[in-house]
Amino acid sequence: MSAVTERLDLLAPEPSRLAIVRMVILNRPSTIAAVCLILVFVAIATAAPLIAPYDPLAQSYIKINQSPSWEHWLGTDQFGRDVLSRMIYGSRNSLIIGVLAPLVAAIIGTTLGVVAGFFGGIIDRVISRLVDLLISFPELLLAIIIAAALGGGFWNIVIVLAAAFVPNFARVARAQTMAVRAEPYVEAAVASGVTQLRIIMRHIIPNIAAPIVVLMTLWTASAIRLEASLSFLGLGTQAPQPSWGNIIRDGLNNLFGSPWPVIGAGLAITSVVLAFNLLGDTIRDVLDPETSP
Amino acid sequence: MGHFLLRRLFDAVPTVLLVLTLVFAAMRILPGDPALAALGDNALPEQLAAFREQFGLNQPLWRQYLDFLGGVLTFDLGRSLLHSRPVLEMLAHALPFTIELTIVATFIGVTIGVPLGVLAATRRNRLPDSGVRLFSLVGYAVPDFYLGALLLITFSLNLGLFPISGGGEGFWDRMYHVLLPAITLAFLKAAFIGKLTRTSLLEVFGKDYVRTARAKGAREGRVIYRHALRNALLPLTTGLGISLLATLSGSVAVELVFNRPGIGTLLIGAISERDYAVIQGGIIVFALLVVFVNLLIDLLYIAVDPRLRVQA
Amino acid sequence: MTAAVEDRPLLRVDRLSVEFGGPAARLRVVDEVSFDIEAGETVGLVGESGSGKSITALSILRLVPEPPSHLAGGRVLLDGVDLTTLPRDQLPDIRGRDIAMIFQEPMSSLNPVQRIGDQVAEAILLHQKLDAASRRARVLDLLRLVGIPDPSRRIDAYPHQFSGGMRQRVMIAMALACNPRLLIADEPTTALDVTIQAQVLALLRDLKTEFGTAILLITHDLGVVAESCQRVVVMYAGRVVESGPVRAIFRNPSHPYTRALLQSIPRLDEERRRLHQIPGNVPPPGPLRAGCAFHTRCAERLLRCATDRPPMMQLGGGHQAACWLAGPMAQAPMAQAVTP
Repeated sequence: MSAVTERLDLLAPEPSRLAIVRMVILNRPSTIAAVCLILVFVAIATAAPLIAPYDPLAQSYIKINQSPSWEHWLGTDQFGRDVLSRMIYGSRNSLIIGVLAPLVAAIIGTTLGVVAGFFGGIIDRVISRLVDLLISFPELLLAIIIAAALGGGFWNIVIVLAAAFVPNFARVARAQTMAVRAEPYVEAAVASGVTQLRIIMRHIIPNIAAPIVVLMTLWTASAIRLEASLSFLGLGTQAPQPSWGNIIRDGLNNLFGSPWPVIGAGLAITSVVLAFNLLGDTIRDVLDPETSP
Repeated sequence: MGHFLLRRLFDAVPTVLLVLTLVFAAMRILPGDPALAALGDNALPEQLAAFREQFGLNQPLWRQYLDFLGGVLTFDLGRSLLHSRPVLEMLAHALPFTIELTIVATFIGVTIGVPLGVLAATRRNRLPDSGVRLFSLVGYAVPDFYLGALLLITFSLNLGLFPISGGGEGFWDRMYHVLLPAITLAFLKAAFIGKLTRTSLLEVFGKDYVRTARAKGAREGRVIYRHALRNALLPLTTGLGISLLATLSGSVAVELVFNRPGIGTLLIGAISERDYAVIQGGIIVFALLVVFVNLLIDLLYIAVDPRLRVQA
Repeated sequence: MTAAVEDRPLLRVDRLSVEFGGPAARLRVVDEVSFDIEAGETVGLVGESGSGKSITALSILRLVPEPPSHLAGGRVLLDGVDLTTLPRDQLPDIRGRDIAMIFQEPMSSLNPVQRIGDQVAEAILLHQKLDAASRRARVLDLLRLVGIPDPSRRIDAYPHQFSGGMRQRVMIAMALACNPRLLIADEPTTALDVTIQAQVLALLRDLKTEFGTAILLITHDLGVVAESCQRVVVMYAGRVVESGPVRAIFRNPSHPYTRALLQSIPRLDEERRRLHQIPGNVPPPGPLRAGCAFHTRCAERLLRCATDRPPMMQLGGGHQAACWLAGPMAQAPMAQAVTP
């Protein structure tokens, strides 16, 4: 263990958490703005039942395709549903999937990567070949292909997105594991007969955690954007459940209705993705300057 | 060069095989009965049996796999149940629209992105640089289908300047139809290429050979375009590959927005109609396009970097 | 007219100062450096790494990126024309035509994606009106001149197909393309093997005798200076500490730093003596310093060395040293101590 801390000290004198936070805040006001925006969206998602003016699913045939008014700030859609309420509820979907999909991908991808990097040999060759192939596919295309087979719905989206992200996590985890595996203190542990599982848990995982966390935050923005894309394509969140992608889909299917659902939902996606991108970049620069997406 | 091309093509064979295997696996091994999925929950048992018979689903898996590979190799991708047309014919009709969109979008994106990157790199930390940074931040965040929807609402619906849907007939009409979707996809591309050009150029500016060029008496324009940019093309080629693939996948949603008769629209339509053979065919086309783009980028490297030519 | 030309050197560097950084943290890396180069002579610019010799050389052609660097004073006169005040867009006319430069790193100084023939040809293209065919013929001549075997085949090769020594020859060919009057060679042999070093230096000497090109040879190696130069300028921490004819400096080094440098040259006739080392390190560049830059490491320092900057003491025959001890009084015992 002392070897580990020694190595870290050599690499960089670790400043205190507080110092890091101060540095980030001083250098990047955009990060504060991003965090505030994310907090606002989290609050909206959490308090959705309290602040949404209407039931997001309630249809009303006398109120279809209304333009924004005091009663309906963003107007109503072709089923007379309140668009603002649908957007507020839609934020839950986006944020939960934005956190969940990278998390699942991290767990599966890290397991694959660590196994490949630690054991090497034929296992490594098989996993690496597959990862190399999948990584050459854009995530959206991969997600569309898997969603085509799986179908939509909340858990399927999580699985689809996680599956699309897994290769990225596996690749980073594998490279990092191989680097740590070659460290003298790990070699020594192997030689002295410490069980492999113990070495992985004690030495490998703690040492590769930082880049994996960075990767998770970087993929959050992508997950939110991809969920919206899939829902827009009809492969994600299924109607009538509200999702930002769905709202745009409905808005476009109703071309001669009000443009406000499309504009509003798109702005929401753009600002959340922008905020998470900014935050992800900052976290990467602080935690792990060497990983790039 | 020709020798290298052959070898590289040969290397792609196992990749294609693996891709096809994965498509097969995705279509057959994932949970759910394809027959049930295709025909819906209230299909009659006879219908299900007929469906399984037609697609060979009652054969053993290895047999299905070989039939599948054989079908792909002989360009026999089956028939669409709903449209009763050969899948290959439908794909052949749709593919040009997707390729056209990708090419025009790439052209626009590169023509805007590269000069933006040069501007940002040469005016580092000044107004143009901040502008490009902001542009790339927004470009990364705006979903392409949203941007497409905004353009469609503004220019096609409200101003009536562009068509609302379709792919067009004849060259000029097709260009007219492709323009808005291409601009949509080019936005993200320009942001990405612009940022990449800036980073690569700034790195190259510090290189010794750029100083050599200045010491020779080359003027700034020549230093930037002949020496620096030419070398920045190496990382840019990688970026071009990534952005080509992003455009390809982005084209699915954008085709849907503009109702273009491309592969994306075909695939998404088939998924919602559960048109099994068309889904499979669409996926195969996309997968092969990805393999092809990666191959193309590898060849582009050779063209751009003479150091890679000797090993060939 | 002739008289005016005679007393005007080809290049005069006059109290040149270069600083890095903004007003908050200003680092002076070149501090009032002065020296002359006469037409056709070879001048050695000597110092350890960090002495500012490379920045001085690059500043002559204004090749140091601005920012972060900026000129903090002084002049660089080429035939009486001040290059430091020349408009930026006129510099390319001087570079490569009147003054050419070769660099320390032949491996990275050539553009990796251009054929070497095209790179040499570009130097011609930029300054002379020649058609493509005569340009190519000229490139072949140049490649032959610098000793590249089989030039008609090698002209279309890329830099990665050349060894380090061959690349440096290409650099030299490129630099000579327009018959410059001054060639600045910034540690041209540092990155090369010893045998190749000797070949490249020999090549430079031959070219000088053949074309009468003046050379400013930047090096940390006094052995190279002894072989190749007529005059030498010794720099330490951004300042010139001593300059003069090679013979005078080797016989009678008048600055303690020069003496220390001379003692650190390994000699064949001596037994395996440890390299003489100067205690301490070159001070990192800082803001403008008072006193002598070397006083922190000097074994012979006086009290005033820390506070008063020593002026250039004229020692006769163009030999000068910036040391309070370099007067005629202090000279005799020192000279005895070092004469080999």
